[in-house]
Amino acid sequence: MKRNSTILLAILLTAFAWISCKKDNPVDEDGLLITTRRECSVSSFELLGPDYVSVRVGTAVIDTTAQTVNVTVQFGADLKNLYPQFSLAQDCKLTPRITGRTDFSDLVNPRKWTVISGDRQVKKPYTVIVSVQPR
Amino acid sequence: MIDNFKKTTMQYSSNYFTYILLLAVPLLFTTSCKKDTYALPTASDKLQNQAIKRTLGPNIVGQNIEFAYAMAILPSKGKLVACTAEASIAGAPGTYMENRSFYTAQTGADVGVTVGSPSVTSGNTTTVTYNVDTSAATLRFYYVIPEAARGKTVSIKFTATSSDGESISTTMGPYTIAQMDMKLGLKVSDNNLMYISIADTTVYNAADAAAHAASIDLVYLYRNLTTSAFNHALVAPAADAQYLPGVTLPTGVNRSAKLLKTFNLQDHNLAPNLQYGGLFIDDLDFQKIDLSGQPNFAINLKQEAGVWVETTDGKYRAYIFFNTVTAAGTATISMKRYTLKN
Repeated sequence: MKRNSTILLAILLTAFAWISCKKDNPVDEDGLLITTRRECSVSSFELLGPDYVSVRVGTAVIDTTAQTVNVTVQFGADLKNLYPQFSLAQDCKLTPRITGRTDFSDLVNPRKWTVISGDRQVKKPYTVIVSVQPR
Repeated sequence: MIDNFKKTTMQYSSNYFTYILLLAVPLLFTTSCKKDTYALPTASDKLQNQAIKRTLGPNIVGQNIEFAYAMAILPSKGKLVACTAEASIAGAPGTYMENRSFYTAQTGADVGVTVGSPSVTSGNTTTVTYNVDTSAATLRFYYVIPEAARGKTVSIKFTATSSDGESISTTMGPYTIAQMDMKLGLKVSDNNLMYISIADTTVYNAADAAAHAASIDLVYLYRNLTTSAFNHALVAPAADAQYLPGVTLPTGVNRSAKLLKTFNLQDHNLAPNLQYGGLFIDDLDFQKIDLSGQPNFAINLKQEAGVWVETTDGKYRAYIFFNTVTAAGTATISMKRYTLKN
């Protein structure tokens, strides 16, 4: 009886130690999972107006070598109040974070975002170049 | 010794189990076999009444608040004599009570049966006097919200009286009356009725706009361009000339405004005939919306689109809804307007 109890206790202790010492998956400062993926690119880009309707004319041209996004917006789009939307390669994240309306009205100094890979080791700055459709 | 102890313990356990079972089984029977008793409710022998408010959304000056007021008495006790609605603030002209009692036919249609003489409104009170022998009826009351009630609260006290001298009342409310105004079905057309005044909630042509230059906030225009999607637009007179192609503004028309395009905001007051229901813009929306940093033009507007507007003097905020648009450069718009400062 005593022997059985000792064995049971030993099994329980081992299981407990195994569970409690299991290594947690690593997360970054934003609470996002850090993976082993090294892909680092923008796959698609959208620009929404204040009415949340796209103001894009045609598809945004993404050059992953030059790290640029060229997008033409409709005539009359309010460049000071646009919502950009990026689609990124798997596990990537974007910095600075997009928290709301963004001002694209300074066409001479286009806005830049940096894409960071899933393993958080590769960082690629992308420039978003906006041009306005002629009237 | 040990064997004896085990035996005794087992015996005790067995006895306990038997006792619990004996107690539990009758209890179960008592609970499950309890006979439910039901008796038909006895109708009250008093005069009774009940009221509901039928209209939804904000209470806007000039619009109706509709109520349905039901009253009944046992036929053996008497019949209905009169029905009165007394408002805390007298209703505007047009306030009345139906002299027909409605029921819903199998088709779903409301069918009215005349039960009294047409209502008489005197001051705050509207009365229907019954002229048929009836002991139950539901009358509808339409309270037209008067200007005097703007920003205040209104209560309606319904009273029914019966032939046995009884009287019963129900008070509905208080209901807050909105500060905002509403104007429906304004016709605008490119090159004609194209100057919109939020202050006047009116649309002017060029000649009239010149006479009301200080109150013109927006210009409606339509351009069917091949190079861009301009289409229907609302543009402040002070906007960049590229947003007013081919427009020669009347003398003195030069105000600016802040505009915010919106889609999928089909206010049920402004678009009552559309299938969208249950969505209303109220005073609070005008108070909360932040239009700072918004442009003074809104291009490429479509049917059922809307535009939030703030006048350049900060006096008014408005929501303009495009009910219909045509490719001929006309549109029907409706407007809710809120006064920020007098």
